[in-house]
Amino acid sequence: MIVKNITLLGHKDHGKSTLIGNLLIQTKSVTEARINDAKKTSKQFGRQFEPGYILDSFSEERENEMTIDTTRAEMVYRDLAFAFIDVPGHEELIKNMISGASYAEIALLIVSAKEGEGIRDQTKRHVFIARMLGIKKLIVAVNKMDLVGYDKERFFDIEKGLKEFIENVGFKDSKIYFVPISAYNADNLLKKSAKMKWYRGKPLIELLYENAKAEDKKAASAPLRITAQGFIDLEHQTIVGKVVSGKIAAGERVRIMPAGIMVRVKYITVKGKKAKSAMKNDDVALHIDKPVKGDIRGSVIGNARERQKMSNNLRSLIFVTQPFAKSSKIKFNGMDVACKRIKVLKGIDTTTGKAMKVKRVKPLEAIEARVELERKIPVENFDAQRELGRFVVYDNLNFVGIGIVL
Amino acid sequence: MIKQNLKELQEKSIYVIREAKIKFPKIAALWSMGKDSTAMLALARKAFLGKVPFPVIHIDNGIDFPETYKFREDLAKKWNLDLIVAKSKIKPEMSGFACCGANKTVELKQVMKEYGFDALIVSIRRDEHGIRAKERYFSPRNEAFKWNYKDQPAELWDDYSSKLDEKGHVRIHPLLDFNEIDIWNFTKKEKVPVNPLYFARDGYRYRSLGCTHCTKPLKSNVKNIDGIIKELEKTTIEERSGREQDKEKAYVMEKLRALGYM
Repeated sequence: MIVKNITLLGHKDHGKSTLIGNLLIQTKSVTEARINDAKKTSKQFGRQFEPGYILDSFSEERENEMTIDTTRAEMVYRDLAFAFIDVPGHEELIKNMISGASYAEIALLIVSAKEGEGIRDQTKRHVFIARMLGIKKLIVAVNKMDLVGYDKERFFDIEKGLKEFIENVGFKDSKIYFVPISAYNADNLLKKSAKMKWYRGKPLIELLYENAKAEDKKAASAPLRITAQGFIDLEHQTIVGKVVSGKIAAGERVRIMPAGIMVRVKYITVKGKKAKSAMKNDDVALHIDKPVKGDIRGSVIGNARERQKMSNNLRSLIFVTQPFAKSSKIKFNGMDVACKRIKVLKGIDTTTGKAMKVKRVKPLEAIEARVELERKIPVENFDAQRELGRFVVYDNLNFVGIGIVL
Repeated sequence: MIKQNLKELQEKSIYVIREAKIKFPKIAALWSMGKDSTAMLALARKAFLGKVPFPVIHIDNGIDFPETYKFREDLAKKWNLDLIVAKSKIKPEMSGFACCGANKTVELKQVMKEYGFDALIVSIRRDEHGIRAKERYFSPRNEAFKWNYKDQPAELWDDYSSKLDEKGHVRIHPLLDFNEIDIWNFTKKEKVPVNPLYFARDGYRYRSLGCTHCTKPLKSNVKNIDGIIKELEKTTIEERSGREQDKEKAYVMEKLRALGYM
């Protein structure tokens, strides 16, 4: 069965875990034992039944009613499986949010309609991060409609308040749907709610299904790119890695960058078996005709007839999670590359999408920057080839940001 | 239970196992002779062209089932495994939490220290337990084997850059994405040898294997893998319902894991 990964997004306490928990219950995707455990926990804390406890398993998460770290739960709907990725909404847990959301292809943003909650900075920041991670599909669920008397004005206000920002950030390729729900009461989750007859769209699950089914634009025949993890033999004649685009056949000549060495691939192994060719996403072992000296980790393998793009100067968009020095390190395609400097061109307010002046790099903001590296690496624009256009920024082993090449 | 795409699951696992072996030359794997860690070894053989390229450790408390010991000897020979048996002593007065904490974890610490391993492959899956669902593929442990679950490292895209504690080690979880039913589908497709305890005898079979003290079988007449897969498609019972330690009280798994348990 095909599994579509959907990440939740949104401010803390707007109901991400509750929504997933109730979807799992409504579609009978969790065992009775897990539901009973959640019931018992709710009782223990003297609270109403909280479906979010199906996901929030750490004692601290349950006591404080907050998600600390990301988790994943699956359900089936028609011929598809959805894997919901729950993420923390708290600002200080943004690295856990990024870790979870990075695996998703669809984002489901939760905004609470409750008085005093509504659109928050973190609501918008999560949208910004999702776009940076390369997620192209977004659905907005306006939650807690039961607490505002299912008021349609409140719903349309939130829709109006968010729509422009979402489009500005770059969600332009697919239609953005807004749906009013009550995660707790299951309104508009699986079936249309009788309490919101004014809503003309489909229930949430149908929107997710339609969105998941909509085909991504097919990329034109892409050039061969294999990211190398390393050698697995002492002779240095067996390279393992992953095909990230294109196709390779046994017998072909390839060029290994950045070294620029050309070799012939004698044969290929995929999933432990000899194969005539390998395609995108295949795990491969390439058996080459002559030994290659030195380390190969982080190298990119392409067709011998083609020149791969190389650069040591990357114009990039970086989301900052911790302040960092201008001479940090980036982790690119499995290798550490030292930066000569990171020159900030402009700041971007992640809650408006607008440019701003910055002197210092601050957490939770983004910068457009020129990343000057100690050496040239094979690189592509993020939009052209995701795997070769993205990096993680480290400062003394600490994760301090994520970047994409513009 | 959801059957996922085996091709994608294998690609991810093979990638993770290769990353682990390439990053950590002094790596070992835990092998309980159960379905998960045996499937992991089969994946390692795929990743490394027919050979398991690291030692496999069995924490042997002496009270595993006889079938399990025979399975261990047979497969170790067939797959040419570099097997390390770490004997731990069961204390009769302990059970459940105390027992697993004291025996398996203490022995594991000893063997890791003795051999100087800096990484350990553990075949846990997200769908087994809410706590295990919170894990990373690469998950650091400190010298005392503690899991600092409140501050896990970021892990995104294909980058597994666990921050290493110099005296600690990293747990590698290549099967995190698999569901129980996926393990059986893989086992069937790849003809991975199976511990016979998973098949029914006298109306009972084991769904999850621990040691003889804390594992109870469930009612079943299933005698082959197809039967297990059919049974799982319909079941509403938790996989580890036959394991005593999970049932004791809330957060037992969290405490055990924070202390270094698998």
